[in-house]
Amino acid sequence: MSYQNGLAPARAIDDDSDVEEEALVADYKEQVQYEGGLDELDQATLAAQADEIQGRLVMAAQPLDFQASLETKFQSYDNYCSLFHYILNSEGPVDLEPPSYYWAWDVIDEFIYQFNTFSSYRARIAREGKNEEEAQILRDNPNTWGCYSVLNVLYSLIQKSQITEQLAAMRRNEDPMTVAGPYGSKNLYRMLGYFSIIGLLRVHCLLGDFSLALKTLDDIELNKKAMFARVMAAHFTTYYYVGFSYMMMRRYADAIRMFSHILVYVSRTKNFQKNSQYDSITKKNDQMLALIAICVAFHPTRLDDTIHVALREKYGDQLLKLQRGGPESLPVYEELFKLACPKFISPIPPDFDRPENNTDPIDHHLSVFMEEVKTNMWSPTVKSYLRLYTTMDLKKLAGFLDVKPEELRSWLLVNKQRTKQLRWTEGGLLEGELINIGDLDYALQGDIIHISETKMGRKLVDWYLRNLARTYA
Amino acid sequence: MNGEDPQERPEQIRNIINGLERYNPQAAEVLEAYLQQQCEQKFCDCNANRALLKLYQLNPDRIKDEVITNILVKAMTQFPSPQFDLALHLLSPSQSNPGPNSTSDLTEAVAKLRVLNAQLEGAQYARFWATLDSDDIYADLTTDIAGFEETIRVRIAQLVSQAFREVQVDVLEAWLGLDDAEAVKKFATETCRWKVSEDGATVLIPANPDNEAKKTEIREEVSVDMFSRVIRRAWEGEA
Repeated sequence: MSYQNGLAPARAIDDDSDVEEEALVADYKEQVQYEGGLDELDQATLAAQADEIQGRLVMAAQPLDFQASLETKFQSYDNYCSLFHYILNSEGPVDLEPPSYYWAWDVIDEFIYQFNTFSSYRARIAREGKNEEEAQILRDNPNTWGCYSVLNVLYSLIQKSQITEQLAAMRRNEDPMTVAGPYGSKNLYRMLGYFSIIGLLRVHCLLGDFSLALKTLDDIELNKKAMFARVMAAHFTTYYYVGFSYMMMRRYADAIRMFSHILVYVSRTKNFQKNSQYDSITKKNDQMLALIAICVAFHPTRLDDTIHVALREKYGDQLLKLQRGGPESLPVYEELFKLACPKFISPIPPDFDRPENNTDPIDHHLSVFMEEVKTNMWSPTVKSYLRLYTTMDLKKLAGFLDVKPEELRSWLLVNKQRTKQLRWTEGGLLEGELINIGDLDYALQGDIIHISETKMGRKLVDWYLRNLARTYA
Repeated sequence: MNGEDPQERPEQIRNIINGLERYNPQAAEVLEAYLQQQCEQKFCDCNANRALLKLYQLNPDRIKDEVITNILVKAMTQFPSPQFDLALHLLSPSQSNPGPNSTSDLTEAVAKLRVLNAQLEGAQYARFWATLDSDDIYADLTTDIAGFEETIRVRIAQLVSQAFREVQVDVLEAWLGLDDAEAVKKFATETCRWKVSEDGATVLIPANPDNEAKKTEIREEVSVDMFSRVIRRAWEGEA
């Protein structure tokens, strides 16, 4: 989904319901062009349904206009609250069928997207300190789109639907219906519960809690049989946030595995997807390529051919600079990170009275990330020299590099320490084994560096099989 | 990850961080007491501490500055690891990136700790000890953490043993932040159980999987299963 942080023009508050209706219809028109997934409903039926609950279900999945006024954003929040209140707090489960298979995903996706844009917008108003009128409205309503209420909705949907228990039963090859309970056995609750888990992954990531984000997916197995895989946008979103969280936890091999999986999948299915849907995916696609570039710079590895080609095409120059390291690489890391990171938010209302106190959360997370980049920036240089020798004197190498021996000792330690990385093998996403990822190893005996390189035997069978598959597929 | 899920974690804490109780503002007190316990008993539960930071993130009125700095110092002792960064990500942006006109005690303390942590992560151990000595504020920030310096020293020694077979005594002296060669030899032989060479200039570290730097060759593993698709296709094509 594309993202706009634009300043919405303040619209006169208008309670006239016809106007509202028209705005909704206009929204919907845009939505049809945007997604084209709900062709079967024409505008007339939509308008007729707007009062009915089915209509409200459909509405909840519709994107809000980019230019929506603050008033509309507040209204939208109230709509979600009343809808979720109805679904969660009616007496017993409500007897409703989701309008479509995609619906539950669309609702959760839109709900979080609006929370995200609202928080970013609010922070921006506070930071710029120019629009006093809107600042006052926002100051007076600190709980609208509040973090606690968003988390509350997601957790409640998960609990009501017993989705965690259902997924656990499915993993044991048992019938999930036996543990689903009165709510979870209904499609509406099961789907909302399921996608709320993915919604939580996203919210935790937006708030900078990357390990909790990954922990949230403990019950979901990431494979093509997973429920989310049937909804392309959900599939895509899941892998983006999981990959990003891995990257922030310095688990670059796992991050690359996630991004690669989804990018290969997208490239294989792009011919089947409707154009409009594909457009919205293209942007995220490029973002993930940028993240792969960062991860590969930290952890050089062989990529899938398709991705390698796409990466070289899209970010060839940048990748080269990252791989070379040194201070020149720092701005490139910053550029790619800013381009590809989620639109981080702060969970609490900003300080409207002191605009200068409101640092953009993106800058905050970037600055933390850049510490690790700076720590590692000499590793490419060190490695490129070490590859040339089997033994080398530290002082001599320091002379080549024009640095003090103490400095080089630190670089050698850093590089050696970073070759150990946690990598997932089985179980929850946070699990993993500590493995040696580098193909270059060394040990110091005083000032003598002993270097050994791991030789990769040629992978002939793999090559043979891949080409055979390609020829006869 | 170091210090992520220690065995010492009691049942009560496990229930808090794995359930919805982690969002209950009252849980902060329990987690604060648990942090205190970690500080006194020299173990580290960064996972539980992040749950506490999360509560602070959502309820800024509950923030206690010294708890935040203690969590950061605790996370720092796990170097090299992402623990310190993961904790930083949970601080509010204004706490960790001081604005031009806002310098609170907490922002200043966080900035100071970030410098220390960067030196540990960057293996600039001599510089780390110098920084630690350069300002009284560091003594204040680390005073609650029992055995802070010793923990760091042992960790550095451990990392050195993963990269060195022999290391000069003067290098080690600077890295361990010790006063003289005698103290280094004492630490090396008593705490680490390493040996000192006959001339007394180098410390000898026993061989371990990490300081060997052995040559390895990764060969391709071929199994019949890999050909299953090809064979099936040939079989089906035949039929």
